[in-house]
Parts: sequence; structure tokens; C-alpha cells
Amino acid sequence: MSSKINNLPDSDGFFGQYGGKFVPETLMYALEQLEDTYKKLKDNNDFKDQFYKDLSEFVGRPSPLYFAERLTKHYGSGSIWLKREDLNHTGAHKINNTIGQILLAKHMGKKRIIAETGAGQHGVATATVAARLGLECHIYMGAEDVQRQSLNVYRIKLLGAQVHSVDSGSATLKDALNEALRDWVTNVDDTYYIIGSVTGPHPYPMIVRDFNSVVGEELIDQSKKLFNAMPDAIVACVGGGSNAMGVFYPFIDMNQTRLIGVEAGGEGIETGEHAAPLNDGEPGVLHGALSYLMQDDKGQVKETKSVSAGLDYPGVGPEHSWLKDSGRAEYVAVSDEDALRAFHEVSEYEGIIPALETAHAFAYLDKLMKEFDSDSNIVVNVSGRGDKDINTVAEIDGIKF
Amino acid sequence: MNRLTDKLEELKKRNQKALVAYLVAGDPDIDSTLEIMHMFVKSGVDIIEVGVPFTDPIAEGPIIQRAHDRAINKQISLEDVFELIKKFRSQDEETPIVLMGYLNSFIFYKDLIEKNQNNSVDSILVVDIPGELDIADYGIKNENINTISLISPTTKNDRIKLIANNSTGFIYYVTLRGVTGSSNLDVDEIKKNIREIKKYAKVPTLAGFGIKSPDDAKALSSCADGVIIGSSIVKMIEESSSTKEFDKIGSYIADIKNAIT
Repeated sequence: MSSKINNLPDSDGFFGQYGGKFVPETLMYALEQLEDTYKKLKDNNDFKDQFYKDLSEFVGRPSPLYFAERLTKHYGSGSIWLKREDLNHTGAHKINNTIGQILLAKHMGKKRIIAETGAGQHGVATATVAARLGLECHIYMGAEDVQRQSLNVYRIKLLGAQVHSVDSGSATLKDALNEALRDWVTNVDDTYYIIGSVTGPHPYPMIVRDFNSVVGEELIDQSKKLFNAMPDAIVACVGGGSNAMGVFYPFIDMNQTRLIGVEAGGEGIETGEHAAPLNDGEPGVLHGALSYLMQDDKGQVKETKSVSAGLDYPGVGPEHSWLKDSGRAEYVAVSDEDALRAFHEVSEYEGIIPALETAHAFAYLDKLMKEFDSDSNIVVNVSGRGDKDINTVAEIDGIKF
Repeated sequence: MNRLTDKLEELKKRNQKALVAYLVAGDPDIDSTLEIMHMFVKSGVDIIEVGVPFTDPIAEGPIIQRAHDRAINKQISLEDVFELIKKFRSQDEETPIVLMGYLNSFIFYKDLIEKNQNNSVDSILVVDIPGELDIADYGIKNENINTISLISPTTKNDRIKLIANNSTGFIYYVTLRGVTGSSNLDVDEIKKNIREIKKYAKVPTLAGFGIKSPDDAKALSSCADGVIIGSSIVKMIEESSSTKEFDKIGSYIADIKNAIT
């Protein structure tokens, strides 16, 4: 089974029944072009050299695998290791994907770059690589996220990109994606759309996964070196699911490693006020792919709720839906309250302020560590740093600057 | 036998162009939609395209997005759309009806489409699937409902052939790169592309997206087998959504009809 999972998606872009290419006809040619370009370049040595050179010299990879001594003591069972994507240039795993996709854009001769963003990390990562190549860049962001992630909005502007605030619908990530797709339909000839997660129509879920897989590949080497075994479990937060997919993918064949995705439980799964489609959704089509989706009793996409802008999305990457159904990965949810608690805890125990998204993965350790003994090694993918969330958390804590 | 196929054949025999009018079901409310649909027919509309409200209509411009929002605020689902069409059919057995919407709605209400009580719906246009596919490819079976496929200015020749081969209703030529209601029609490019499509098409080719004035409609009807008017009508519905006086839509449609006749 496992080796078959590893070969997905199939030629039509499906992971089992999930994925596909559900887009207006106007975009079909652009997706074909992208797929052809990617197929041609992905095994090309010059392309790979450039990609890894940029990751090393511009991003600062490899990111360390760090032993979390005090957290480990706190739980008193297995060793907790942190894969430090928060130390990447721009502060999150998102840059791995944008470094790769901007090379595709350049190769295709596109002059204009667009992207959607939720927490703003993908917007920053896209504006960064566009600036580096001197390309025009437009970032779509839900109006509510523009509010709660004002620091990242300013960073994007400093990097020379334009931020378009999106007022429609729930004014969050989902609506930013809608607007980015509309831009792409309109400007498809000269525009490259850098999707920021393992979502969207084929070939995006595959491309974004492949570029982010550098995280899991490094983790294999580092695990050998640091504890001479493969991890017993890898924990990562899941919104669209790019950081999780990147760290999970190289481990799919290694059944001894549990893969655990943590979704945003918002006010609690039982309240329905959350952003956890893998825990409480049904298969549906949104933004070009069939995947688990939060929808109401009329087939409309539901508005989501999460303290974390980056997880506040009703859909999820199709490969995660497949990993869930096949049983290879487990998906759990953590509430806003628990994530906030972990945010403070990790800051105080480890001197690392994690992104609110990442705090969801940390919060799950509370349950998970009880399942392991002291010989085990648990890896948390620290998808990003929490500087961008300071305003949100301060407001919740009743602090005014 | 299918109302849409029959209508298109009849128009062809009479050497006339088809006028297709679009609205969103439940915008601003179901009773108004029913009233406007009947008015469409009286004013010369040949085929009615009924938009199925969806939360994330990615191919629509701001005007039609707002119409979807208004309908969703009234909680209109595909189930309500079938009810609406049932009421319409009690007075109008003739006018072909095309449902235009997004795949999630059709998958969610698969059973309703497979049943299609009294064959009230004639055709379905799914905006967010590739042109060569239809609802049957997504497990929704109904042989009496035919398929309208989109072809766009970016569709290359190999795909044009593929899509033209599979369409059973009409081919919907998207006249521009963009969302519904955009401007900047390039009439020369449109004519060239429609000529190319017609080499392979077994069904008529109609043009839509961005057609606003009687002049636009006239220019395009010289090459296409008909025109589809959406955003301009929906804008008028929006402007009259509080007064509910929709008369000027009738005269607008009559002007378009004149221009293509």
C-alpha cells in the first residue's frame, strides 16, 4: 500500500478519489503549461542545483533539528525534537515553496506574480522571492486577516508588493483564494499564481508538496545523526497542510513513524465553530480540488473559526484527505484555548515564540506524550515563528501597547 | 427530446440567433426570480440560464458575486431552485432552462438532478470543470439533461476538438480572459476563435461573458449562433431589488433581441 501512496497523484492529479482539476476552462491551458514545465525541470540538474543553492544561501537551510530539553522534562516521557522551520528566512516553512515556484515562473517567462495569504507568511514569502527577481507582485488577503496580521501586511508592502484587501464572503483566506483565482483568470497570459499550500487544482498540491519535502528529507538525515533512529511520531499543524505534507511525505513508506496532523478546533469541534474539515467535514469541491470540506446542509461552504489566521480555512489539501482515508496519517484537532496555552508554554519553556498555527501542534503533545515511553523520539514541525501573532495574543490577554 | 436541443434546431431552421438570459435564483427573492423569468420570455428570450447560488463563485465578477450573496442570505439551495423551476413550468412548458453553477452544489444534490422531476431542467453548465467533462464524469447520471461546455480564448486547438466532440447542448464561448461582466471585448479575436470552433462543433456555438450593449450583441451575432447576457441583467435586478420594479429589464432585452434579429 505504502509504495503506491508514494506515487500519487496519478496523471489526472488524483490521490485516490481526492484532488483533480476543477477549474474554469480558461485556466486549463495555464495548468497544462505549468505541469509540463514542472515535469521537465524537476529532475533537471541545473534546476535542482539552483533550488538547493537558494535554499542554502538565501533561506539558510538546513533548518536545525533541536532537542527541546525542558519540554521533554515537562512531559517526562519521550524526547521532544523541534524541526526549526521558524528559523528560515522570512520566519516560516512557506519560503521553501516560493523559492521553487518563482524559479518555475522565471523559466516560463511570467512577468507578474500573484498569491493569496492567510496569516501573511505566504504573502511575505512570495513578495520576498518576487523582489529578488524584480517581478511585479500582488498579494490577496482577506480583510479580516489584514486586520489581525497587520505586521505582515506592512512587511509585504516593504518588499514592494501590493496588498489587495478582500471584503467578500468571510473576508479570510478562502475569499483571498477566490480573488486570486479571479485575477489569474483575467491575467492568465502574463501571470504566475504561486499557491501557498498543498491545495488548489493539480499540479499545485504535488508541486507545493515536492518543494516543501526538503523538510522531511532533512529530518531523515538529522534523525539518524542525532538519535540514530527514525522518529516515532511527527506532529504538524494542518490548515491547507503544506508544512505537514512537506515533513510527512518522505516518511510515508516508513510505517513505524506515526504521522499526526493537528487541525484548528476553534471553539471546539462539538460547537461547529472551527476549521477542522478532516475531523468534521465531508468531501466536496472548493478551489479546484475535491477534498474534505466544511459545508452546511445545503452544500454551501461554511465560514470557519480559528484564532490562527493561517489555519482559518474550510478546505484541506487533497493528499491529506487521502492519507486520512488510507489510515496512514492521523488527524486530530486542538481548540483555540489549548493552542493559546501552548503558545505561552513553549515560549516560556524553550525560549521559542511559535506561530499560533504551530502552537496547535505543540498543544497536542499534552495528549500524545502520554502514549510514549522515555525511549521514543517525537518531532514537532515548528512551521513558523510567532512574531506576527503578538498583537492577536496581546489583545486576547487584555494588553494594549 | 430535449427543449434546448429542439429550440436551437428551430432557431437554426429559421436562420435566427438565440438570446440567452441569465439570473441568479433567489436574487433578490424567489418570487421575483419567477416573475423575471416569465418577463424574459415575453421580451424575447429564447433560453433561460438560472444561476445556482454558491458561496465561492470563482468565475464571477463583483456584480454576479453580489447576486449569489443575496440569494445565499435567503438560504436558497439547489432544492429551492428545482421548486422554482417547477412553478415556472406550471405556466411555461416550452422555454428551455439551463442550470449554471459550481460542481459542489451539483454533487451535493446529485439525487435531485438524477430525478429531475418531469424533466423540468434541460441542461447543466458546470463552471468549474474542464470543458471536455460533464456531470456524468462525476457520477451524476441523467440522459435527458445535456451538457454545455465552455471554450475560452486560451483553449488550444487540441482541446477545442475534444470539447466540441463532447458537447451536447451548445458550446459556450467565453469571449474574454476574465470573470463575468468584464469589459474589453476583442471582437476580431472572438470571430476568429468561433470560426475555429465551428469547424469541429456538432452543436451551436453561443457567446457570453462581457456582452453589455445591443452593439456588442450585434457584433457577436454575426459569427456566433447566439449571445448570452448575464451581468447587465443582474445589475438591473440589483438596482431594482428594493422597489421590485423590473420593467426596464424587459425593454433592455427587447433592444438586444432587435439588435441580433
